[in-house]
Amino acid sequence: MIRPVVMIPDPVLSTPASSVTEFGSATLALAEDLLDTMRASSHSVGIAAPQIGVGLRAFALDITGHKKAQSCHGEFVLFNPEVVTGHGKDVGREGCMSVPDLTGDVARYTSVVVRGFTPDGDERVIDADAFEARALQHELDHLEGKVFLDRVVAHDRVFQRKVYR
Amino acid sequence: MHELAITAIGADRPGVVAGVTGVLADLEGNLEDTSMTILGGRFAMVLIVAVPDEVGPDEVLGAMAGPAAALGLDVAVHPSDTTSEAQEGDAWSVSVYGADRPGIVNRFAQVLADHEVNITDLTTRVIGGPDRPIYAMLLDVSLPASVSAETVRAALGTAATELGVECSMNAADADIL
Repeated sequence: MIRPVVMIPDPVLSTPASSVTEFGSATLALAEDLLDTMRASSHSVGIAAPQIGVGLRAFALDITGHKKAQSCHGEFVLFNPEVVTGHGKDVGREGCMSVPDLTGDVARYTSVVVRGFTPDGDERVIDADAFEARALQHELDHLEGKVFLDRVVAHDRVFQRKVYR
Repeated sequence: MHELAITAIGADRPGVVAGVTGVLADLEGNLEDTSMTILGGRFAMVLIVAVPDEVGPDEVLGAMAGPAAALGLDVAVHPSDTTSEAQEGDAWSVSVYGADRPGIVNRFAQVLADHEVNITDLTTRVIGGPDRPIYAMLLDVSLPASVSAETVRAALGTAATELGVECSMNAADADIL
């Protein structure tokens, strides 16, 4: 089911999400909602559960076809994800469906290994670099109650998404 | 409510923002877009403020008089219309740096204007010591669909060569994650 995307300053976006303790019909349903909502927003490559108002540690990602992509694991949903390792730093400009109109330059690891669980509860490890690594870190931030505005590298590196009105 | 444009420039010191915005809050003004920064040792503020209809530029200027005198600020208040239309375009960043000399901003701005490129943000700084000043200019621009990035890049490159400065142009399209 496509769910409405929650916008700042909704508290669900600034509150650390809770770990999922039981896998089954509820996690499968949440995964479907995340995928449906992500697919419905053609300009976005990922969505975290807090962005649809659910304070649980889960996100969906699909960077397939993105011009900055190197590694690509296709479409997937990860529960209780955590960063195992991160290397390299690069600054890139990010926007977010939950932060209208603004974009900002954010420093991220250029490669990360993230471990989490599939909607069925099976462990899954994602070894990502380039754009997929950036997207993973952006979604992981949502689970910590952070949006990209909490991470911009300098105050003057926040921009209007398009042009000034 | 209607919008006013306010500029205030003066000595950089603690309390300037608090003083100016305090006056606006007392007038029930709501800050819309603002830009405030240190320029050449002065604190420069540009504010678009929505104020109640009965509050005009003269009322704001009058209310600012006390704090402006206390803080050493030059304040101007203008009626402001939002008549400019939003332009669609691709976001690019342009950076220029080199030995300081007159005419750098004008030359590059003219190249961009000649190609219908809209400047959405521009910051210039003189960096390095006084014995060897380096001029740095950072621009965010919006390219209309009718103009190719390579054409603009080539024209900027020609200007850079003529002026003996470095210029680079990079796509600044943000990824919506």
